[in-house]
Amino acid sequence: MLMDIQQHAREIGLGLDLFSCIQCGKCTGGCPVSLTTALNVRSLVYGALIGDIAGPVHREELWDCTCCFTCVERCPKDVRPAEVIIALRSLLVEEGKVPSTIGNALMGIFRQGNPLGYAREDRTAWMDGLEVQPAQEGCETLLFTCCSSAYDIRAQAATKALVRVLQAAGVDFGHLGTEETCCGNEVRRVGEMGLFEMLVEEGKPLLEEVGAARMVTTSPHCMNTFRHEYKLGMDVLHYTQVLARLLDEGRLNLTGRVEKVVTYHDPCFLGKQNGIFDEPREVLKAIPGVKFVEMDRIRERSLCCEGGGGRMWFEGTNTEGRLAFQRVQEAADTGAEILAVACPFCMAMLDDAVKVKGLSERLKVMDIAELVAMAL
Amino acid sequence: MEPRPRIGVYICHCGTNVAATVDVEAVTEFAATLPGVVVARHYTYMCSEPGQALIREDARALGLNRVVVASCSPRMHEPTFRAASQEGGVNPYQFEMANIREQCSWVHHDRHEATEKAKALVYAAVMKAIRLEPLEEREAPVTPAALVIGGGVAGMMAALDIAEAGFPVYLVEKSDHLGGRVAELNRTFPDLEPVSEWLPALVDQVQRHPNITVYLNSRVTNITGFVGNFEATVEGAKEPLKVGAIVIATGYDVFDPRRKPEFGYGIYPQVVTTLELEHRLAAGDLTVNGKTPKDVVFIKCVGSRDQQLGRPYCSRVCCMISAKQAQLVRQALPDARVTVFYMDVRTFGKRGEEFYDEARRAGVRYRRGNVSEIYRRGDRVVVRVEDTLLGRTIEHEADLVVLAVGMEPRPEAADIAALLKLPRSADGFFLEAHPKLRPVDTAVDGVFLAGCCQSPKDIPDTIAQAKAAAASALIPLMRGVVPMEAATAIVDPELCAGCGMCVEICPYGAPGLDPLWGVSRVNAVLCKGCGACAVTCPSKAIRLQHFTPDQILAQVEALVGW
Amino acid sequence: MSDNGFEPKIVAFLCNWCTYTGADLAGTSRIQYPPNVRIIRLMCSGSVDPTYVLKALLDGADGVLIGGCHPGDCHYQSGNYKARRRIIALKEILKQAGLDEDRVWLRWISASEGQRFADTVTQMVQYLKEKGPNPMKREWAV
Repeated sequence: MLMDIQQHAREIGLGLDLFSCIQCGKCTGGCPVSLTTALNVRSLVYGALIGDIAGPVHREELWDCTCCFTCVERCPKDVRPAEVIIALRSLLVEEGKVPSTIGNALMGIFRQGNPLGYAREDRTAWMDGLEVQPAQEGCETLLFTCCSSAYDIRAQAATKALVRVLQAAGVDFGHLGTEETCCGNEVRRVGEMGLFEMLVEEGKPLLEEVGAARMVTTSPHCMNTFRHEYKLGMDVLHYTQVLARLLDEGRLNLTGRVEKVVTYHDPCFLGKQNGIFDEPREVLKAIPGVKFVEMDRIRERSLCCEGGGGRMWFEGTNTEGRLAFQRVQEAADTGAEILAVACPFCMAMLDDAVKVKGLSERLKVMDIAELVAMAL
Repeated sequence: MEPRPRIGVYICHCGTNVAATVDVEAVTEFAATLPGVVVARHYTYMCSEPGQALIREDARALGLNRVVVASCSPRMHEPTFRAASQEGGVNPYQFEMANIREQCSWVHHDRHEATEKAKALVYAAVMKAIRLEPLEEREAPVTPAALVIGGGVAGMMAALDIAEAGFPVYLVEKSDHLGGRVAELNRTFPDLEPVSEWLPALVDQVQRHPNITVYLNSRVTNITGFVGNFEATVEGAKEPLKVGAIVIATGYDVFDPRRKPEFGYGIYPQVVTTLELEHRLAAGDLTVNGKTPKDVVFIKCVGSRDQQLGRPYCSRVCCMISAKQAQLVRQALPDARVTVFYMDVRTFGKRGEEFYDEARRAGVRYRRGNVSEIYRRGDRVVVRVEDTLLGRTIEHEADLVVLAVGMEPRPEAADIAALLKLPRSADGFFLEAHPKLRPVDTAVDGVFLAGCCQSPKDIPDTIAQAKAAAASALIPLMRGVVPMEAATAIVDPELCAGCGMCVEICPYGAPGLDPLWGVSRVNAVLCKGCGACAVTCPSKAIRLQHFTPDQILAQVEALVGW
Repeated sequence: MSDNGFEPKIVAFLCNWCTYTGADLAGTSRIQYPPNVRIIRLMCSGSVDPTYVLKALLDGADGVLIGGCHPGDCHYQSGNYKARRRIIALKEILKQAGLDEDRVWLRWISASEGQRFADTVTQMVQYLKEKGPNPMKREWAV
């Protein structure tokens, strides 16, 4: 297969700029999986540029990319290297050559509006025992729950906690209920551009009809695509931003105490890609009793949990050398009892890693919303 | 009564620069048909001596009283052709230029369209030329002194040369000492010579020079006037300093690597800048946390060649600084492994490549890869980088990491630019008047550039530019007079109603109401020729010579009509 | 785009210090732009008499571009501000007379902005192509 990847990337709406590349290696050097898998994004850019992609395009490691976009953030020439991977993935999608687990997830989204393949009617099951207002015209804030936040049992706890916190602060918010559908952030990043376009076409009017001034998302991934790819006519905020603002304005009073040593893991889609580093930390520091400690690799140097870019649905070519294993060890080494997260994917990856690494006695992974709810 | 216009039109090929896109023969044939045109020719290079001779000889033989040259920008060669016209007996202000290179052949592909446009431009130039009036060039005396802003190596060198030529120099330095950035260096490339062997002597020479007055802890707060007659307000000087020329040598800032958070600068004591290592080398102390480093890494292009930071340029010295420091570290720590990570090695210039050879022969390892991240491991740091020649990402543990930080414009450059209306290029460095032909001149006559305020450069290039700036500044000082704007505003007293609107609008106070006659008169010495008064005048009594309404309207008519 | 082969004529009055030099830089940088623009060099945008603009429009120019230094950068201190005031007034007059003030563009383009100059011309040509020929053109002789 020989084709113009640059042109293909343009056609599917990517900003990839192969001709700016000077092959410096900044991308691969910072790629979180480049030490543990065969993925080399610099070499893929070169292959795509010179038209030698016959080899790379069928390699399994193409699916290893987590779309953390560290390479995009650091590239000195604005090449947007990760997008060569998305472009190559999209070619494979067109040919139907997709790992079966990713294929199932895409099918689930197409049929039921979520990658887990659960029934659409069950999307609001997590609300059991809570009073969540349906989104109706005139409501100030629209709460958007990630598919994981809605269906995944561990993540549901965080979603419930967030609802309790927002209600305690008197926030006027509504929810789309079972009409809520996957945002498609990962769909686009695994290269299923057709399905993503469909999700935008159907989702955008649905979201905008509410007429809310802002949307709050449980996941940085949803926030990312709503902000940059949907071009919605409203502010899109991550819930940690909202909590930080509520605390700042004195609308959220924390009277309980959480006597714990807490550290925080920056989600790539929140931190590196959207520059939101401070608000989650401000919220944690505002919880009475919390002793906040930092790991070494934080903020722009944070280590990816390996859950993005479709990796929630694909094991990867090296299951032994998972980054989440390193990450939970680093968290434990700080002496923290709690590893706070702000993303349902990070929650899943790190919670799993704590169990595999036998750290459950020492370290618990908790969502920031859960910690705040404990202090209500 | 003015004699009838007899115009010579000359179309320049500029080699192939014009001729490849514009059909110069067709334009010449067209020009010959225009009113008043006595002769129309085309030639390979009009600015060459034979080209200028064509103008001179035609002017004399055919009795020309107007000359039009269609070639490059008048900002390039107007003085050349004015002089040639004058030598042929034509008043230099009855010369007009059509810019068919910068604004035609270089920006359009289509030969037919470019040729038609060139015809229109020539037509307009001839229409203006017909209406041009002879003007008299006058001269103004020059204040025989110079102002040099910045007391680094560039400023000191420029000051010395001007002072040595016998003119007073005011040297203004914002810090409390002379020497600038070079004073912070230990040894220089490619000879590894200690700065202490020559800089103190240079500073001393400047301070003792009878023609140089040094103002330390001082800034220039205001500048008025024009070439030959500037007045600068300087902190510490009792009254405004009168000077004929100004040299700007305000230097550069060092890139702050906190803007590249992936390197952990400011977090890890192991991570330092090249400038900080310079201080450590001078002090003879390379220890980190009390330990002698066993592994030292250099990272190049920190804050250079980076589109995302708005620093797209190469800082030109970091490759040589890294090669120098790597050698010095090898000498100081013979047991340490020294590695330079690079994107490209650019050790150009005299003895550059040889110096790079010497660094490698001294045992410095060069590995190709742009370091992506630094993090902690025990009491060392990990340099995470892809060795692009191996195609493999590595974690290189190091005890000392040196960031080769680039140069950037000083924030104060904006203030100087505002004082003098000096243009800066997109990167923030001062813009030279022409990238090749006028590298030390600026858009403002009498103001010259020296050193890194214009763009990053090493010490030899800085000094060369400083000496060039000094030599250029000496031209008006030594000549003693500067040509004055001949194209000033004049008033027709018959039309003037004495309303005084021109007096109000002029920023230079050139027009004034004659108390006896009640009409406006322009002081030609003060007039800068901007033309604001002419537009304001309700009775059109005041007009800017050389840009009169009838000339401009004729241009408009020609350009729209063709 | 339906331009029907219509090629607008633009007369540009450019200040010597900023925009004219910027146009030269577009040339030395070989930045291509449509040949529809014809430039008249003036010393300052503040010396653009509104009658020049009117004359150009009445003679049949489809657009007039006035280029000056960025605010604060005028070689003559404040000529660009004067230009701005005059052009605003002129556009108001054009509008009141039922004429098309959008054919007159005033832009600040510095000596280092060759690309910006080329982009401005390209945009203006595109804009005028969509707008069509200038109806103000005098159809009678005086």
